[in-house]
Formats: sequence, C-alpha cells, structure tokens
Amino acid sequence: MLDNTPSPFADNVSPAPAASSGCSGGSGASMAASATTRSTTPFPIRIADPDALVTLNTQTRARMPGTQWKSLEEYESDPEFLARVQKEFAPGAEWWIDQASRREFLKTMGASLALAGLTGCTIRQPVEKIIPYVQIPENMIPGKAQFYATAMPLPGGAIGLLAESHEGRPTKIEGNPDHPTSLGATCTFSQASVLGLYDPHRLQVVHHHNRPAVWSEFTGALEGRLTLAQKNQGAGFALLTEEIISPTLQRQLRAFLQANPQAKWYQYAAWESSNATQAARQVFGAPVTARYHLPNADIIFSVGADFLAEGPSHVRLVREFSARRIVNADATANMNRLYVAETTPSQTGAKADHWLRLKPDDVAAMLIAVAAELGLDVGGEARTAKVKEAHQNWITALAGDLKAARGKSVVIVGAHMPSEIHALAHLVNQELGNIGQTVTLVDPINVVPDQTPGTISDLTQAMEAGQVQSLVILGGDPAFTAPANLKFGEKLKSVPFTAYYALQVDSTAQLVQWRLPATHYLEDWSDARAEDGSVSIIQPLIRPLYDGRSVHELLAILSGQKDVTGFNLVQETWLPGFGNDAKKLWEKALHDGVIANSAFQPATPAVKGEAAAALKQAFAEAPAESKEFTVVFRTDPSLLDGRYATNGWLQELPQPLSKLTWGNAAWIGYSTAKDLGLKSGDHINIQRGDVTVSIPVWIQFGQPSQVITLQMGHGRTVEGFKTVGVDVYPLRSAANEWVTTAQVKPTGKRTVLVTTQPHHNMEGRHLVRSGTLKEFQDKPNKPGFMTVGLHHGGGDEHEGGEHGAAEHGTEGHGAEQGGHAHDAAHGHEAVASKRDVTPHHGHPAVIPEGENQNPHYPEGGPTFYEDWPRVGNQWGMTINLGACTGCNACVVACQSENNIPVVGPEQVIRGREMHWLRIDSYFEGDPDTPDVYHQPVSCMHCEHAPCEPVCPVGATTHSSEGINEMTYNRCIGTRYCSNNCPYKVRRFNFLALNDPVWQLPVLQMAQNPNVTVRSRGVMEKCNYCVQRISAVRIQSKMENREIRDGEIRTACQSACSAGAITFGNVDDPDSAVRKAKEHPLNYGLLTDLNTRPRTSYLAAVRNPNPALVSTAAEDHA
Amino acid sequence: MTSHQHSSAVEHAPEPISPLDSPYRQSAETRAKITSVSDQISEIVLQPGLHMGWIAGFAISFMLVQMMFVSIAWLLIKGTGIWGVNIPIGWGFAIVNFVWWVGIGHAGTLISAILLLFRQTWRTSINRFAEAMTLFAVACAGIFPALHVGRPWYAYWLAPYPNAMAVWPQFRSPLLWDVFAISTYASVSLLFWYVGLIPDMAELRDRTKNRFVQIIFGIFSLGWRGSARHWKRYTDVYLLLAGVATPLVLSVHTIVSFDFAISQVPGWHTTIFPPYFVAGAIFSGFAMVLTIAIPLRSAYGLKAFLTDWHLDNMAKVMLASGLVVAYGYLLEHFVAFYSDHYAEKYMLINRMTGPYWWSYWMLMLCNIAIPQLLWSYRVRHNVYALFALSIVINIGMWLERFVIVVTSLHRDFVPSSWGMFYPTFWDWSLYIGTMGLFCMLLFIFIRVLPVITIFEMREQVHHEGDA
Repeated sequence: MLDNTPSPFADNVSPAPAASSGCSGGSGASMAASATTRSTTPFPIRIADPDALVTLNTQTRARMPGTQWKSLEEYESDPEFLARVQKEFAPGAEWWIDQASRREFLKTMGASLALAGLTGCTIRQPVEKIIPYVQIPENMIPGKAQFYATAMPLPGGAIGLLAESHEGRPTKIEGNPDHPTSLGATCTFSQASVLGLYDPHRLQVVHHHNRPAVWSEFTGALEGRLTLAQKNQGAGFALLTEEIISPTLQRQLRAFLQANPQAKWYQYAAWESSNATQAARQVFGAPVTARYHLPNADIIFSVGADFLAEGPSHVRLVREFSARRIVNADATANMNRLYVAETTPSQTGAKADHWLRLKPDDVAAMLIAVAAELGLDVGGEARTAKVKEAHQNWITALAGDLKAARGKSVVIVGAHMPSEIHALAHLVNQELGNIGQTVTLVDPINVVPDQTPGTISDLTQAMEAGQVQSLVILGGDPAFTAPANLKFGEKLKSVPFTAYYALQVDSTAQLVQWRLPATHYLEDWSDARAEDGSVSIIQPLIRPLYDGRSVHELLAILSGQKDVTGFNLVQETWLPGFGNDAKKLWEKALHDGVIANSAFQPATPAVKGEAAAALKQAFAEAPAESKEFTVVFRTDPSLLDGRYATNGWLQELPQPLSKLTWGNAAWIGYSTAKDLGLKSGDHINIQRGDVTVSIPVWIQFGQPSQVITLQMGHGRTVEGFKTVGVDVYPLRSAANEWVTTAQVKPTGKRTVLVTTQPHHNMEGRHLVRSGTLKEFQDKPNKPGFMTVGLHHGGGDEHEGGEHGAAEHGTEGHGAEQGGHAHDAAHGHEAVASKRDVTPHHGHPAVIPEGENQNPHYPEGGPTFYEDWPRVGNQWGMTINLGACTGCNACVVACQSENNIPVVGPEQVIRGREMHWLRIDSYFEGDPDTPDVYHQPVSCMHCEHAPCEPVCPVGATTHSSEGINEMTYNRCIGTRYCSNNCPYKVRRFNFLALNDPVWQLPVLQMAQNPNVTVRSRGVMEKCNYCVQRISAVRIQSKMENREIRDGEIRTACQSACSAGAITFGNVDDPDSAVRKAKEHPLNYGLLTDLNTRPRTSYLAAVRNPNPALVSTAAEDHA
Repeated sequence: MTSHQHSSAVEHAPEPISPLDSPYRQSAETRAKITSVSDQISEIVLQPGLHMGWIAGFAISFMLVQMMFVSIAWLLIKGTGIWGVNIPIGWGFAIVNFVWWVGIGHAGTLISAILLLFRQTWRTSINRFAEAMTLFAVACAGIFPALHVGRPWYAYWLAPYPNAMAVWPQFRSPLLWDVFAISTYASVSLLFWYVGLIPDMAELRDRTKNRFVQIIFGIFSLGWRGSARHWKRYTDVYLLLAGVATPLVLSVHTIVSFDFAISQVPGWHTTIFPPYFVAGAIFSGFAMVLTIAIPLRSAYGLKAFLTDWHLDNMAKVMLASGLVVAYGYLLEHFVAFYSDHYAEKYMLINRMTGPYWWSYWMLMLCNIAIPQLLWSYRVRHNVYALFALSIVINIGMWLERFVIVVTSLHRDFVPSSWGMFYPTFWDWSLYIGTMGLFCMLLFIFIRVLPVITIFEMREQVHHEGDA
C-alpha cells in the first residue's frame, strides 16, 4: 500500500477542528463543526485520591524488588546511566556521535532499554488491550481525534487552545476561535507545548537531595516547618512565585497569606518588567494595564515594542494588524501605517512602513520629540537634539499623521522601555484621544487581592538577614534567571528548608533540598486569565505522566488541606459564582474554553494633573554618553527566559531574522563588526564590572552600531540535557535589567553558529515582490513592482519599480548602497544592493505578457506536455507576504502535525534540518538599515514538478487533486528530486532520525497517528496536510455533500495568526484561494522555470507616508 | 608456434624512424628485445612465485579494499548521513566518483573497438589491459550509485522486473537510463574482453606445466584449438563485437551526462554535456591508461611492446580530447552569457569567485593549461613528464565532476537554501577504497592473465618483422 493513500486507519480520522479562524475571508460555516468536535467531559478523569497511586507505587516498589521501579532507582543512581542521561541532548535530538565505538554503541543500547524501562513504569500510557470499552467515554470513537478546549498559561496572560487528542494522548495544539487572545491562532510556544509534555527531561518523582522520594515524605517534612512557622503567624516562611494569572491560585495564595500573615510572598520572572505598571501608577494613580486595539488604528507608532511577536496579546495583535494590511483586488485598501523606532531589529520592525533602528536612548528620544511636536509640554530638548537633527522629517511626518488620525492612532511602548517613556506614551495617547478607542486600560490580571509581592531583591536581602527559614519556590529557575548581582543561588543554600516545584531539574533544583515534580498544563486542572481578563478553565488532556501534582494541590498542602484535588479547587473558585446553573455553566465554560463575560471591563482612570510636569523634570537631564557598547537584553523568541530550553522543536526553530538555532549569539551590526574585524561566529568578551561573558557574535543586518543585543535563556542547565548556548544572565543586574553598557573585546576564538539560512541576500532575484500601496493604486492591473527586473517588463514598468523601491522608507541612496553591497557580496552572508543594482545578476526571464496558456497558471509558459486532468477538487494555496510577520508558529505547527523529527545542532550545521515549511528572510538595502522580507516556503506542488520526472522509481507523483505526493514506501532515496527542486523544499532522512536513540520512546507519544513516520533514507516534504484533506473528504462523503470552502485548514494555516495563508480548491470560482489567485498581486515563485506552482504568493504592500518618500535618504543619516 | 624475429632481426640495416610505423620497426634495439612474444608475455603469468613488488602493491590495495568494506558497512549501519551530503547538495562524492570511474572506463573499449575498426595497429600493445582497466573502473563506478541511494537494499527497484506490486520503474528518469547504459556497457565490455582473451588463454593452457592452471585455462579457453575455422569465426565475432561496442562508448557517457543535462539545475542543464562528457571520458580514460602503462612496462620489462611511440600516440589522443573538453568549458561560459538567465550567469560567476573558486581554477589548470605541454615532442617522449601529466589529468577530471556536481548544487535558485558541502572521512575512505579495489583487481589481472594480447602482437611482429 502506498503511503499517500490514506490507510484504513486514517479513514476513521475525524476532521481537524475546522474552527473558523475569524480571519478575513474565512467562512463562519464551520463554527458549528468545531463545536461538535469538542467534548464537554474530558476523557482523563482524575482519580479521587491522588495519593492512592503514589501509595500503590510505593507498595509495589517495596514488595517487588525486581520490578521496573527497582530499575528506576538503579538507573537513577548508576553513574553510567547518569552520564548517559547527561549526554542526552534534548527531546528528539542527540549529538550524533560520529566516532561511536562499539562500547559506545552498547552503552547507547543499554540506556535506551533503561529509558524504555522508565517509560514502562512511570508513564501511564493507555494499556493496550484489544477489548472494546465497556463504558465508552463520551464521543470516543477509536481512531477519531477529539478536541478539548483548554488554555496555556503564558507570560502576561493565557492563550486559549483546542488540544487534539488521540485515544487520550494529546498530539497537537490548535487555537481556540472563541478565545479573545487566540482567535483561532496560536503562537510558537503553545504549538511546541505538546513536546514539553513529553519532554524526557522532566522531573518525574519527588527528590530529596538527589534521592528519589515520595510526596508523603515531603508533606511530612513540610508539616514540621509549617507548624514551626505557624507559631509565629508564618514568620520565616517564604514563597517565591512567578506572576500568578490563575484565579484559583490567587485565591489560594491569598488564603494562605491571610492565615499566615507573617509569611512572605515574593515574585520574580526574568521576562517581566515593572516599568509599565510603575508608569500607570504615575499617570493614572492605578496599576492599570494598557491594551491595544488595532482594528481602528490607522497610524501605529511603536517605540521599541515588538508587539507583533512578544507579549500576551501578540497573537491577537498580529491578527488585527494584518487585517488592516490586506489590499483588495481593485487596489482599494484600508491600510494602517506603522512607524517603528527600536533598537534591536524585530519582527514588528520588519513589517514597518518606516523603520528606525537607534540606540535605546534615541528610541526614547524619538517619542519625546514626537510628543513635543504634538504640543505636549514635556521638555526634553537635551535628549531629543540628536534625533531631531537626524530625523526631523520623520518626526514631523509622524506627528502629522498622528494628529490627523486623532482617536484612530496608537502609540505602543515596549515593555522594557523606561517607565517615564511608558508614562509619556499614556500622555500622548491621551492627547490624541486614543484612550478608550485604540487603547483601553484594564485592571492587571496578575494581582492577588490585598497582597503585594516582594521583589527578588527583597527576598535575597531577607535570606541574607537570615529571616527566611523555609522557602518554597514555584518554578521560574531563579538561580539561573535572577539578576546576577543578587547571587540568589548562593544565598539559597543558606536557607534551612527549601523546596522547588518545577518541571525540570535545573540550576535551582540542584540547590534545594526538595524537588517537587510539577504537572504540565495538559496534565492537570487549573484556570488562567488572558490579557483581557477572560478566564479559561485549563482542563487536562491526560493523567499526569509522572508523579507530579498540580500547583493548586501544592498550595493546598501548604494550607494544610489534605486530599483535595486540583479539580475540586478550581471548581471551588468558580461554581459558587455560577449560581443555580452551575453545572451547565461549568460545562459551557469547558466547552467554549472561556468563561462567558469574565473579561475585565475597561477602567477609566483620569490622568493625574502633575504627570506631565513630573516627566518634564525626568526628561530635563541629558542621558549620560558612554564610550562603551550598549548592551540590550531580550527574551529569546524561542526559549523565552530559558523555560523552553529542553524543547527540541523550539531549540531547532530558526529565530526570526537571524535563523539561528541551537544556541545564541551576540547580535552586532554590520558596520560595528567591520570596525572590530569580526565575522559571524567569532567570539567576543563582554565585560561588565567583574563579569565577563565570552559569546560568539552574529552579524545582524540592521542592528545599530555600538549596540549589542543578547538573548536570554540560553545556556540553561537542566539535568540530562546537554547545555547549549551562552548564558548571558550574569551580565544582568537588578538595576539594569534591560539595557546596560559593557566593554567588548574580540577574543580570537571561533565557533560555528548553527543557522538554517547562511545567505540572506536575494541576489537580485525577484523572489519576494513588494511595493507601495500608491504604486499599486497608480497601476491597479500591473503594478511596476510585480514586474521589476523582468525582461519583458518594459521601460515604463522598470521605472515604476525603481521608483517604488526608492519610495519604501529605507531604500534611499542607490549609488552608495551599491558600493556597500559589493563589499558585502564577497562576504558569505551579504546584503547586496537593492534589486537590479548588482550588474552581474541577470533578471528572470518570463513569458511575454499576454501569453497566458492556462487560466490557472497566468505565469505558465508553453509546454510539450498536456495539462494534468483536473478531476475533483484542485488544491492550492496562497501566502500573503504582506500579512506574514515571520513568527514561526506555522513552522512548529507543521512539525507537530507531520511528525517531523528534530535533528540536533550537528545536523543543522550540515544542512539537514527537516522542517517542511521554512521561513526565508531576506535583507535588502544598506547593510546597516536594510529592509527585511519574510517568505514562508514549503512544497509548491508544481503542476510541472521538476521532482517528478527524475525519480527513477516513481516515488513522487502528481495526485488527481494536484498534490505532489511522496510515496515513502517506494522511495529509495536517490535525492535526485531534491537536486532538481528549484525551491529546495524537499527534506531527506540522512540518518535514522526516528530511531529510539533519536526519538526517545516517550516522545513517540507526541506523534500524530495519521501521519507516517518516515524511515531513514527516504525523502519527505510538505503534502498540504493530506491527512487533513482525507479526513474532511471522508466527513463530507458521509454527509453526502461537497467539501466546503475553508473546511480544510492545513496545520500552518490554522496556526497563522496573521491569516496569511489561504488554502482551498482553486477550481472553485467562489473559493477564497481562487479569489486570492486572481488578485493582481498574486505571483508564483520562479515561474520562469515553468514549474506552475500551486502555492503562490501575494506581494507585500507597504503604506509609506508620501511626505517621507522623497526624503527617505534621511532615514539613514 | 614459430617465431620469425630471431632470423631477421640483425640483418636489416636501421630504417628511418617514422611515427607512423608500428612499434616494432622503430628501432633495431626494440626488435632485438623481442625475443619471443609468447615467451615474454606468458612468462609474466606462468612464472612461479610472486615478486616482492607485486606482493607489496597487492597488500596495500587489499588493505584499501578492507577500508572500502568498512566504509560500506558503516554506511549501511548508519545511513547516508555519514557523508557530507545535505540539502541542497544532495549528490556529493558518490556521484562525483561514479562519473569519474565511468569516464575512466571509457578508454578501454574505445581503444579496443574504435581503434580496431580504424585499423590502428598500435592499439595491440595496450588494448588488453586497457579493457581490463575499463572493466575494473566500471566495477568501481557501479559501487557508488547502488550505495548512494538512501536505502541501498531497495536499489534493485531501479530494475524493470516483474513484481507483485505491479510497479515499474519510472522510464522518464535519467537514473533509470543509467542503469541500462552502464549494465549494457559493462556486459559488452566484459564479453569483448573475454572473447579477445580466448586464443591467449589457450596459449597459456598449452604452455603451463601446472595441471590446475591447465584445467582453469582449459575451461575458459572454450576448447580453442587454433584451427583456421576457429580463427575465421573468432575474427568475425571480434569485429562484430567491436561494432556493437563502438556506439556504447559514445552512449554511456552521453547517458551519464543526461543525469545532469535533463535536470534544471543551473550548471547541469546544458545541451553541450553529452559530447563534452564523452570527450572528457576519453581524456581521463587515456590518462588512466598512461598512469598504468608507464609503471607496468618498466616493472615487467615490456618496453619492447609498449614503446615510447605508444605513449606518444596516447598523449596525442589526450591532447585532442582535452581540447574538446576545453571547448566544452568555453561553450558553457558562452551559453550562460548568451542565455542571459540570472541563475546560469550567477552559477558561472559563483564557480569562479564563490567559495569553491579553488576547484574551478584547479580544474582549468589541470585540464586545460597543463595538458598544453603535450604539444611538445619532448614532453610526450619523457615518461616522467607523461606520468605526472596523466596524474594531473586524472585529478583534473575528478575536479571537473566535483565542480559540476557540487558547485552547481550548492547555490541554485533560492538563495535562502544555499549551502556548503564538506566531505567527511567516510566520503574519502570509500573513494580511496575503490581505488584500492581498482588496483587490487589490476594486480590480480597482471598476475593471472596476459597483459598484452599475445596472438595479436605475434601477428603484428610476424607481418612487420618480415617486411
């Protein structure tokens, strides 16, 4: 049987959630379908007595020394096993040992067996017995996936999700269309959280000083401490938590602190910045949170805010932003305009219409200057002199735009910007009448009523003073993430009783007495607020894999409650408020994934009169000039603050812009690198006070000069995981959390950086097409930028294109750029000139206009071959480059859906990453201020696929529905297809990447049963999620109807918060994808090769301010 | 078994030397050395014992063969990933070496068949071992395509055999044409070589005193008795086989070149490839014949049969085919310029100035610049220079394939997917291992079969000796 035909097993597959995304153009028809697939009763039912299982296990252990429990202990203490575990890399990836000796091989074998043993005993897999259910769980049809609404707590707020479950095994995350933050889409973290559940590095059982223990031992020890503390109303007892967004936990904590008034609660998270809250207090007198609403925002000014990639609301903001970037086929549009002033080039900056990359102080100065221009009396002349000189036009134009869009504009400030800048933004938004329109203020979601947490500095002071007798830490790995100057780890050792509740054995766990295994959010009951305050009940998809307890149960233990389950605790929080209909409302909340009307109402605090005066005073001083490098700290786009360090999907996820995987590097600008004589991979020493960190550099085009950006979270030690990357936390101090200064010296050492895209120069090829709205409106049928660089474009169009290129903010000075580019082109990763300047690159030749051979492939040339017969649905896809922000959610979604293995850094260096879908980034223009383009590329499903005729065994073929399919079983692995693929989207299993050594047994639980796991030596690639197509086809046949447009959503499409991906039947004249293909901005990649791709792109359109176009050159001054 | 040279050798006055003359007539010294053709050639096979030099050479190549087997075993255990290939460079050393070996395998049949048809009698001295070389080179070449696939145990799916799945190979793929081309070429070459060996094996059968050797050669000489009827049939068959083999010489590398030319990779997609590959094959084949002939003739004292004029002739063929190859390079550049296609043009610029610039310029040096020395009579008649040149050309032809395969693939259409190829230890070990296999087979061949055609040489000596 061929792989590409659905197996009988796959025939039973239920449709994907088919939830309408709410993205523009999507039909709402499938909402009902999504609702029916969600069950109200979760399948995994928590046993009543959580201790029973532990007790049982303990007894088993005692009685049967020969059982696997013994092997666990044995292996836990066996140094050879520990050594082997230490070598283990990350989920799904292991350093591939080239010189593996026989001994090594045997060791590997032994350890695999041991791990298999561990799996067997600790993971409560569904027992495989071939008997039918006696009592079948509701809606359970074996082989049919079920979807449960749940939510994932993320920094700043939860995101609502639908988790796909196969026979009680969660395998895939989808967005929840009913959830205000998700709107049907997801972020990378939530997509990758499935792998986090099955992470083999998880802490499995309670440990007391490295020795496996059980919960009752801990509770026993704790009781003693608690009674001791209770004598003094809890004095000496301290809790350190991250921010708390779970109402139940807030309730529990409040109760605990009220019962023990002398006990202390401290809060710390590395990603968190208190600046915004501080500013809100200053301006409004209340710690309100600003929420932004972009549907009506015509002008957006981002001051160092990467709002399209960071923060709890970024999924929603991307959707709202992208909806306003769509241009209709008749060239009408209601486009917003985005101005970005920031330091580190970000995904938001890459989408900007006008983008300035400045030193942090100058970014702040830009807002002050704009505020002054708007007539706010905040002073700050000393600060703004520099930026005014360089960017006066920009400031004037922006201020003009903001004024004109009163009430329809928004100023967004990055969380890590200083509090006075946040305060100023509030004043500007107030001045512009935006508050209540595009900015709403809501109460913070992370507050425990009547309680104020201490900071981590307070805690270390208390520890130093000996005031802390017992300390319970709830996650966060503070020994790793705490500001280095606090020396948290050292002080932690002096506390008499310490317990750490976490998913992994990390730096903090190494230092405490008790390690308590946490539960993953997919394992246990909880609740969480989204950034707007709406509450989702987190319902578990599976019983805890290991001996973890939910955080609520831990708090219950602290409060002396026994035998309480997380489920009861969560219900206790909500059921009383639900009133008479409690059960019904509870079930509805579970089903919808959000408790109705739980969002906070916007607060309407008045601006304090003295706020402006206070700011004026703050801005009076000019910032100190420093000759040292400015060092900017950012959370990592994949690892956040390091919490996802062991997640192979995220480690191997190419970072936006740099495309670095497996490790971090210090970003430095092109000119700075040239001055210092550095190449990417050269090490520098960053010295700040007595701390020196040696780190390789990455030359990031667009990074301002003399500024270094460091991504936090790398280099985190987790037991069993081979540390990757460089820990930059030591450079961070409590006083300078986000920006500091340091000395930089090249060391002469070099390492190879692991990147998936070493070349970021488009080489004058017309791969990403982009232009301005004006150009499009001037020539709605054939805008110049669609043909620029093509042979038959004609002089007129050529001109148009050149003009267009120049119009876009940063492409101002052609000649100078050309020079730069040539210099750069000889370096490996070069940014060349803008398209066409490089003389030795020709232009893609295309078929003369008017020679449209085939209505479906407007760019197809003549051919000897007959067209494929078009029977049934003809699948096709469009990707709107104007909407895509390069966020990577689609890449992880694809990896999760299609069982794509993680290959590890060694293999990525060799160019063997397996992602079916990649996002290319190209930089154009001046290497110091380039434009950035993102282009998601996966199999194009060419009508004339170059891969098909060269396969000697016919393993890759054209399906009747137009999909270029891989028959894995038939593939012998000549790799000819990949060579002949001009898009290079085919991926080859160079090694046995799915063998147990690579993919530990527990990880296999994360795999989608409807997708073949590919063997070594086999080619693979995107197949438009053919399993999802089959599922919907089966469903439609059962219902005796046609497949509805939008009913099939590929994994990438459903993850995309920008709604950039449209998929459907291109032969259906009413389908969304057909409409997109008829759009004048639609184009195919490399169509001069006559490949006739089924996936096509919509050119990116920007909306620059006409006033700035003529003076674009000034942007670089 | 008469020999004529004894009586006539001394009486004749030295005749003017002409390059057109057959080797025998070139000098009295040469003639004097040819005591008995049969004695001298069969002596190499029939002498008892083994020379130290042979043992040493065999031992080294045997060890290399072991390395080859280890490399193959590790490949089968671990997978293609032990090599340096990746995406975008899906083909690496395996294909480079395959094409290189196939190219080398061209000279033998060309010498035997085409030169026979053109009645170039000087081929007699070299055709036997050139044919053997062909077979061994094709054997080495054949290892690579089978191993380079991701799942070598399914490589037989390339063959159109009836099977329960009712699946046929895909006849549009040049890789499938390769299977046919190479297997046909290998079998015809083997047949040709074997047929040519029959009279000689009968000669050895008659000469040996060892019963075992007698039986073996007796079996393989197929009852050859040297009757006039045998000779008649033999010459007919041999000529026919030559006729069959001749087009194959051209077809094999033409089809191998289709592996590249049919694709659309810039640097591969070129119509010049078939003739230019064939010329390259002849170029490298003759270089390899020289690489073997020069040490061989001094080791076994065969300078009388394999004279400087033979080397001279081969050098001239090399020069000519080398110029065709140079023309091919030139045309590649022209076509890239003339097509005005961005990818084609970039490909050439990148070859010259990209990260693999060294391979391109080394190639130009080895295949175009240095072989121009062959215009010089003195170079052609200096064995050391010729030997060095043949090695240079072998390297150059390997580089040519490296340039075509690797530098074309490493930067094609979409810059985001550009990559680099770094060969690993296992890439090298398998390559060097096949060289070991080649040498080992040659050593065995030298020891068990006559390296020069006895009967043809005798016939030639007979004709010319009496003139």
